[in-house]
Amino acid sequence: MVKNNRSLRIQKLLKQNELYLFLVIIVYSIFITSLNSSFLSLENLFDLSKSSAGMGIMAIGVFIVLLSGGIDISFTAIAISGQYIAANVLIASGVDNIFFAFFISCLVGVALGAINGLLISQFKIPTLITTLGTASVFHGALLTIVGTKAINSAQLPDCFKAFGAKDVLILTKPNGVNYGLSIFIIIFIVLAILTWLILKYTMLGRGIYAIGGDINAAERSGFNVAKIQFFIYCYVGFLAGIAGVLHISLIRYSNPTYLVGTELSVIAAVVLGGSRITGGSGTIIGTIMGVAMVTILNNSLILVGLSSYWHNFFVGLIIVISVSITSYQSKRSIGNIVFRR
Amino acid sequence: MLGKYSKHSKILTLFIIMISVFMVISIFLPGKFLTIRNFQSMFSQIPEFGLLAIAVMLAMLTGGIDLSIVATANLAGIVAALILTKYTFPQIGVYEELFTIILAIASALTVSLICGFLNGILVAYVGVPAILATLGTMGLFSGIAIIITKGYGIIGFPEKFLFIGSGIILLIPVPMIIFILCALVAVLILNKTTFGFSVYMLGSNPISARFSGINNESILVKTYMMSGLFAGLASIIMISRVNSIREGYGSVYLLQAILVCVLGGVDPSGGSGSIFGLIMGIITLQVLQSGFNILSFSPFFKKVIWGLILILVMVINFYSAKLSQKSIKRLKTN
Repeated sequence: MVKNNRSLRIQKLLKQNELYLFLVIIVYSIFITSLNSSFLSLENLFDLSKSSAGMGIMAIGVFIVLLSGGIDISFTAIAISGQYIAANVLIASGVDNIFFAFFISCLVGVALGAINGLLISQFKIPTLITTLGTASVFHGALLTIVGTKAINSAQLPDCFKAFGAKDVLILTKPNGVNYGLSIFIIIFIVLAILTWLILKYTMLGRGIYAIGGDINAAERSGFNVAKIQFFIYCYVGFLAGIAGVLHISLIRYSNPTYLVGTELSVIAAVVLGGSRITGGSGTIIGTIMGVAMVTILNNSLILVGLSSYWHNFFVGLIIVISVSITSYQSKRSIGNIVFRR
Repeated sequence: MLGKYSKHSKILTLFIIMISVFMVISIFLPGKFLTIRNFQSMFSQIPEFGLLAIAVMLAMLTGGIDLSIVATANLAGIVAALILTKYTFPQIGVYEELFTIILAIASALTVSLICGFLNGILVAYVGVPAILATLGTMGLFSGIAIIITKGYGIIGFPEKFLFIGSGIILLIPVPMIIFILCALVAVLILNKTTFGFSVYMLGSNPISARFSGINNESILVKTYMMSGLFAGLASIIMISRVNSIREGYGSVYLLQAILVCVLGGVDPSGGSGSIFGLIMGIITLQVLQSGFNILSFSPFFKKVIWGLILILVMVINFYSAKLSQKSIKRLKTN
């Protein structure tokens, strides 16, 4: 009986995308390390996790949207709006406080997300068309109203720089140089756990899964679909606002044309993690691994001997291959009678 | 009966919107809008953009979408440009030059067909949702284009090739002639062939289409190939008009092409929409565009306006669908 149970668990594990993804990451990392031994050093891993935390936070947002059966391509426009407005407000008001920056950025994020949520939940506009339109409006409005001037390192309030340099764990290399684990990764982990808790233990979270599974069935079983959809897009805006502040603190520079155009990489990471756009399936762990895989791939292109020109190609290839695998699996398991769009 | 009425009223609404936009712009910009030069410039922009819009529309009719059209057009254009610049030089003969041009066009169209074929296979046989499939191939195609060109532009094509983009026959620009011919072909295919009928059926209800004996997969692959082909045609006009190509050319067209489809009454969930409606949408957008250019709006402000119009049209569609549902109910109870 016990043995039977265990083999069932192993069978279940083998069906999960995460396991395969994890194996691919391990094998690929070993391969890269054989080319350049510094790749798997703790220092490099800390660096990678710091630079990819912002992308990871945005990926959590995209993950929830995909889970609910929608798609969002406006989150980078929201992130850059939050970041640029927050930086400008801090400079104009003279308040040099990172919490204030987070507050402004998240406020902008939630407000813009609410616009998405309103359009999607009240007017039933397809999510792709809504966010395609709002991405254009948000970014265009930012550049028209707030401005197009970049904020350079000298003008940037000190709190961003201090925050970007903050480490929670400082280690010393044999040669005496210090390196540390950035606070960014803690923020990412906290948000990932928060999202996991919402999805797993609240009625709201179960509602998100339900909408993704079948929106009509969710409505009939008593979920307030409009409210849940509104929450989803506000939450994505909130996460984008945080990612915006992390991004400015990381590069110590703010250019209102940055970030927009990186949507594809983030969506690639999420679908690589096993989320299906038809909704209802996917895990946070998968999303995190997807982000790790895309980050490692991006950072290793040059190590493998390919120029950065290959970046777009690989991102596209990742999306095509990973969505093909998940779609094909679901198509086979459901059967061929019902045609799925 | 009711269906026919509502279809005509949709076209009528579009027509009224088009005429009123035209009037407003003419009244507010006297002497600047209604000039021959302005009309010539509008006519030169409509074709490439219109072909891309038809490409999106075809995918939308089946209930999908094609986000890879601009990337497809770029890749096809780059292949054509490479052939044109590699195999033409001053001492080349007339026939060789003509042959090179035909070869370039044929290869561009082949590339675009292959791109469409890949999309079709992914959507139809692998079962990938069209949004993600074409989002992925968009990255893939533009990635290949970047790898080929290393991000540089390709400039300088033979004189004869430039005729496609800037020539004039009997006062009509050549691109316009190509566009009208292509639009006519699209109308014929969609309205007069079994294939066209199947596309509409598949779009309105894929399950009933399957049970009425339509091979959904093959129709989908053909539709996405057609969509790719139109993108390829657009790329030829585009590279010949501006006499150069670079990865990323025409990336604003993606949003605008989707906007025009929605504006022209194509239902994003599939099954309804006509080329006539689409063309009225294109003209409306082009009139607005040229008005904005005369007012010298910044490109960022234009971005805001395009996005706003897209959302506004969708909101209006939502209310008009609600209204027509109500009137159907009323008819039934009476």
